[in-house]
Amino acid sequence: MKPKDIIWCIALGAIVLLTGNCSLFTEPVDYNTDVKPILNRKCISCHGGVKQSAGFSLLSRDLALSETESEKPAIIPGSASESEFIRRLTLKDPEERMPLGGEPLTQEEINILTKWVDQGAQWGLHWAYKPLTKEPEVLQMGSQNEKSFIDIAIDQKLSELDLKQNASAEKSDLLRRVSFDLIGMPAPADVQQAFLEDELSYEDLIDRLLSMPSFGEKWASMWLDVARYADSKGFEKDRSRDIWRYRDYLIRSFNQDKPYDDFIIEQLAGDMLENPSQDQLIATGFHRNTPTNDEGGTDNEEYRVKAVMDRVNTTWEGILGTTMACVQCHGHPYDPFPHEDYYESYAFFNNTRDADTEKDYPLLNFLDSLDEQQLQKLTNWIETVDEEEKAAELKDFVYVSQPIIYSIETDELVNAALYDTKYLGFRQNGTARIPDVNLSGKEVMWINLYSHVHNGRLSIFKDSLDGELLAEQKFNRKSQGYELVEIDLPETEGYHDIYFKYSSNQLSPDMDRGLSVNWFYFGEAFPGNPSQERTAMWKQFESLVNGNHESTLIMTENPEDRQRKTFVFDRGNWQIHAAKVEPGTPGVLPPMEEGARKDRLGYARWIASPANPLTSRTYVNRVWEQIFGMGIVRTVEDLGSQGDKPTHPDLLDQLAYKFANDYEWSTKRLLKSIMASSAYRQSSMASEEKIDKDPYNQFLSRGPRNRLTAEQIRDQALFVSDLLVPKMYGPPVKPYQPDGIWNTPYNNEKWVMSEGEDRYRRAIYTMIKRTSIYPAMETFDMASRQLCTSRRIDSNTPLQALVTLNDPAFVEISEAIGLQILNAKSVEEGIDKVYFSAMNKKIHPKKLAILHQLYEETKADSNRENAEEIAALTVANAIINLDDFLNK
Amino acid sequence: MKKIINEYKLKKSELNTRRLFLKTAGLSMGALALNTILPGCTQNTVSKAPIDLNPLSPRSPHFAAKAKSVIYIHMAGAPSQFELFENKPVLNQLNGQDCPPSLLEGKRFAFIRGVPKMLGSQAQFEQVGESGAWVSDRLPHFKQVADEVSFIRGLHTDQFNHAPAQIMMHTGSAIIGRPSLGSWATYGLGSVNQNLPGFVVLTSGGANPDAGKQVWGNGFLPSVYQGVHCRSNGDPVLFLNDPEEMPRNIRKKSIDAINDVNALTYEEFNDPETVARIAQYEMAYRMQMSVPEVMDISTEPEYIHELYGTQPGKESFANNALLARKLVEKGVRFIQLFDWGWDSHGVSRMGALELGFINKCRETDKPVAALLLDLKQRGLLDETLVIWGGEFGRTPMQENRNGVKQIYKGRDHHPSAFTIWMAGGGIKKGASYGETDEIGYDVVSEKSSIHDVHATILNQLGFDHEKFTFDFQGRPFRLTDVEGHVIKKIIA
Repeated sequence: MKPKDIIWCIALGAIVLLTGNCSLFTEPVDYNTDVKPILNRKCISCHGGVKQSAGFSLLSRDLALSETESEKPAIIPGSASESEFIRRLTLKDPEERMPLGGEPLTQEEINILTKWVDQGAQWGLHWAYKPLTKEPEVLQMGSQNEKSFIDIAIDQKLSELDLKQNASAEKSDLLRRVSFDLIGMPAPADVQQAFLEDELSYEDLIDRLLSMPSFGEKWASMWLDVARYADSKGFEKDRSRDIWRYRDYLIRSFNQDKPYDDFIIEQLAGDMLENPSQDQLIATGFHRNTPTNDEGGTDNEEYRVKAVMDRVNTTWEGILGTTMACVQCHGHPYDPFPHEDYYESYAFFNNTRDADTEKDYPLLNFLDSLDEQQLQKLTNWIETVDEEEKAAELKDFVYVSQPIIYSIETDELVNAALYDTKYLGFRQNGTARIPDVNLSGKEVMWINLYSHVHNGRLSIFKDSLDGELLAEQKFNRKSQGYELVEIDLPETEGYHDIYFKYSSNQLSPDMDRGLSVNWFYFGEAFPGNPSQERTAMWKQFESLVNGNHESTLIMTENPEDRQRKTFVFDRGNWQIHAAKVEPGTPGVLPPMEEGARKDRLGYARWIASPANPLTSRTYVNRVWEQIFGMGIVRTVEDLGSQGDKPTHPDLLDQLAYKFANDYEWSTKRLLKSIMASSAYRQSSMASEEKIDKDPYNQFLSRGPRNRLTAEQIRDQALFVSDLLVPKMYGPPVKPYQPDGIWNTPYNNEKWVMSEGEDRYRRAIYTMIKRTSIYPAMETFDMASRQLCTSRRIDSNTPLQALVTLNDPAFVEISEAIGLQILNAKSVEEGIDKVYFSAMNKKIHPKKLAILHQLYEETKADSNRENAEEIAALTVANAIINLDDFLNK
Repeated sequence: MKKIINEYKLKKSELNTRRLFLKTAGLSMGALALNTILPGCTQNTVSKAPIDLNPLSPRSPHFAAKAKSVIYIHMAGAPSQFELFENKPVLNQLNGQDCPPSLLEGKRFAFIRGVPKMLGSQAQFEQVGESGAWVSDRLPHFKQVADEVSFIRGLHTDQFNHAPAQIMMHTGSAIIGRPSLGSWATYGLGSVNQNLPGFVVLTSGGANPDAGKQVWGNGFLPSVYQGVHCRSNGDPVLFLNDPEEMPRNIRKKSIDAINDVNALTYEEFNDPETVARIAQYEMAYRMQMSVPEVMDISTEPEYIHELYGTQPGKESFANNALLARKLVEKGVRFIQLFDWGWDSHGVSRMGALELGFINKCRETDKPVAALLLDLKQRGLLDETLVIWGGEFGRTPMQENRNGVKQIYKGRDHHPSAFTIWMAGGGIKKGASYGETDEIGYDVVSEKSSIHDVHATILNQLGFDHEKFTFDFQGRPFRLTDVEGHVIKKIIA
């Protein structure tokens, strides 16, 4: 068959499958399968969600049947002959004929549309938005033998192509496949042996691998791409960011088999759960992985808005399989999401406390044991002078320090400035304002500040600089570090602007700052009556609040009295507000439950409900893609009408239904169910016929054979060389990287190679700097982690060859493997052993002969003393470069 | 290496690989890349097109291209147009006066606060060449070649911070994650030299551009179209050099052995990717020889070193300019030069218009002029499009960071109007497009956008920017999004 024929064959096959092999002229026309593709391709770019040329849009039935600019509807349901929509397709005059300026529709396409209008021009709900039901009919019709529902679906499609699944893969190949799919590297030697020697059944093997801690490391890698996780902030300076505890949370979650609904709720709104655990707070790092910009001169609100938009886009793409990014500027061009839908989603995310501050607030602090003791003392004391609740509240303040008002929220600055657009600084007679603060019940304000000179004075006024003097604070001495100052406020009701005025007799008008402020807090007074003890405890509190703790980025919600309003942004421009919107979910999907909270937590619960048809479809498709290399819907990021159609729609639906119901959102049960299928276990041998009929293996006519991921290539090499250190968790590590890779402006952070065992950790622990990804991994198609990445596109390039051939990290690994070869009884046995450790089988004699010859030739060529070592290194280096090794 | 796989099998498999590659990369079945790229190609004519073997093999654009290669010189940090190409006598008269409030209303600045003072040019201008273009005395060498270029004087952007503005300049969007101009070009045209990367990036000035690798990133295009950052120190391309222990002949033997084993694997699984891998390893081996050769400027004759002011072995813009010419000669499609350090705010010596800026001009003026002359004398300028510019302009006001007068002379970021130039590759000689008001604050006529610049560059490469698309996230994406007009006035 010629390539052209292959394409046609598949295209025709697809049409046959989709239309159920029926004639279009006797059966009803189906909107989704027959009509929508034509509209999307030929009409909707001018008559859709973005443009409505001549006042005509085909996005929904309501719109399409309404009056156009010609004052009559273009579609008359039931009468194609009266419908302008049809007439315009057939005209000869190129000025009149639609599509304007494009190729005319084919006769077949016109027939479909004509028939569709004659049949009443019914719109249909796109498959992905339809509710999931217990048992899709088609899979029930299959034979009631032991075949898994997966194989029933796969076989049905294959039989239509006149193909059959392959026989089961060799045990060794299957072991390799399962190991990489579950733990991301070869199975440990004991597991390998037990399985190969039939001591461990296939099912037990899967259970064994599922229970290994390395399972979490493999599957967390997948989610890190969705979460656009990185260890740096993203723009310009791209300084490091400590959020690795979130990565560790993912590893733990997969290992615990945390139900996917809880997993989603914790990540989207863990902070809003009742008494959130430390882990639930860390989980909210999911949406704190947005890039922030510390570049001087940036508008922090602009980057806060960008981050919120990114959260909307990531939530929709990563969890709901829907591309929402285009809806931020206009209605969805192809799918039923009007412009407002975007901002109704946005509203759920628009009340978090993060604001593109340089310190990446809000943070969850981790105190060392000494600080913990101090905190305990402090809370014990508070309990003696105040309520337990007060103690708990101040304890939380030490951990999270919220809700505070950042100095970047001030305005009307005169003789004052946001230095480097980050920190408020007052010069002589400097003034500033915090707009609209609720003073009801606020006894004091705390200011986190630094006094640069002696004898400063800060006066605080209500509503204007001429207004009521609320308080005055003196700074007798220069600060030694950031201080926390408590200032009493008179009892005041309601919302007021707070004005500040600063002066010092030590400052001349042209001198620099006298006072810098990091943040403000309005609230109840620190407990206790004035006493030496209270002063000491305040000092303790201050030192804990300002202490240099380890921390991780988390979400917290704005307090009731500082809620942001959300507006539609005109054409996506955040500075031009259109209509105000309330939080809400798109009309095309099932609504939130009655009485559900209309906030981020309520939204998270709506997403993680079995009633949401997108959540489980998206996740099972993602897991399928991880295993087979291609999703049931290839476009994992978009299940909408412009995405690919599912190759096995009923299978996708059944898996999705089972996952959210029968499997109780358990990833491990989902994996077991997929891996039990013969489709998964079959050999990956590809016959000519299969390559012709199923070139991309979309229909699973053979087992999956895919290149290892960037992480797996490193992990496997470390594993085979015995250099791998299985230590889990903790701050990112820096294995070998050539000098001069990190060369970021205004950032003197250096890549200093980790010492000792940290050099040989699994790839998931490697430091990820957004503007400069670890090169060996970047070359193997690692996601750039700037945005949510639903799937990596594998490439096959000469630069990849250079990495595994020459990267000193891989050369070092080759050296270690070379020694194993030399330490074996013979070189041949050594090669075989190394090969076996990753491939679970003896190397083919022909392959062995080639590698052995390479060894001999290299040894003979070298006149150096260590000719054997060099020869062994060369062979070891060749082994880790083999196609066998680079694929699973 | 003995050929284990016969030619037939190879071709067939590579074809499959190519198709699989394009498929997984986001192109739908009915629209292979060729279909997207070649206008009016129906499915029938596509299948008759010559078999396309590899994602980087040379491809024809929509129409006959004027430019075969592009050298994009980006002065990262945004050089001041008022000290280089924009002669504004009225601004000079206003020097030191308060900025009128009308210029400040409703504007956002990166650092200017309150009322800044106007700042006249810190350089002297004269009209040069037949075109009579105004060029400042900061660029004595450029004056000699000014007739070769077309200026775009009315360019504007919507970003006023470096990183996003650079991303905008190179990807057409301030949203991160879009493919860069060079990636688009390589995706559309492939590479004529399979032993060198198709898209090469060279950096100088002591730091990478503020936007990091985004500005040569592949975005949603396959990573094979990403720019390859070649370095002045260490391996010119990462991991190009074999381990110390391994002589060339052994590397050859080892690659042959790897490929021999892989050929056996291919027989086993029939996986087209395996055949592609064999080809990639062979290419890697060839690259190991050809890259050091092209990256070595020490073999250039003395008069060339004098022309550019190059010193082999040093990290410098001059060396990169010379390398750019060598790479163009070898058929590299897209070369980006980034020179960092042009952010003249006046808050430090380096960032002072009267100090650091002058040094930056000295470092780059001679090599830029040399590059144009050198390309011309080799007959390459006609088919090489050279672009020079920053990511935005500078204010006609003196920066008063934090509301305070600065010690040095400097200007804030200014997205509303700036100047870039283009030369060669079918661009008119000595033309000028766009005009700003008498103080260079706003564009008064022939305003152009970054999308217009991209449309023009693609046009010179033979692409209709409106038809040059890639399907991603359910819609066809363009470099120019939904905007952009070719700037016809500067096209020869």
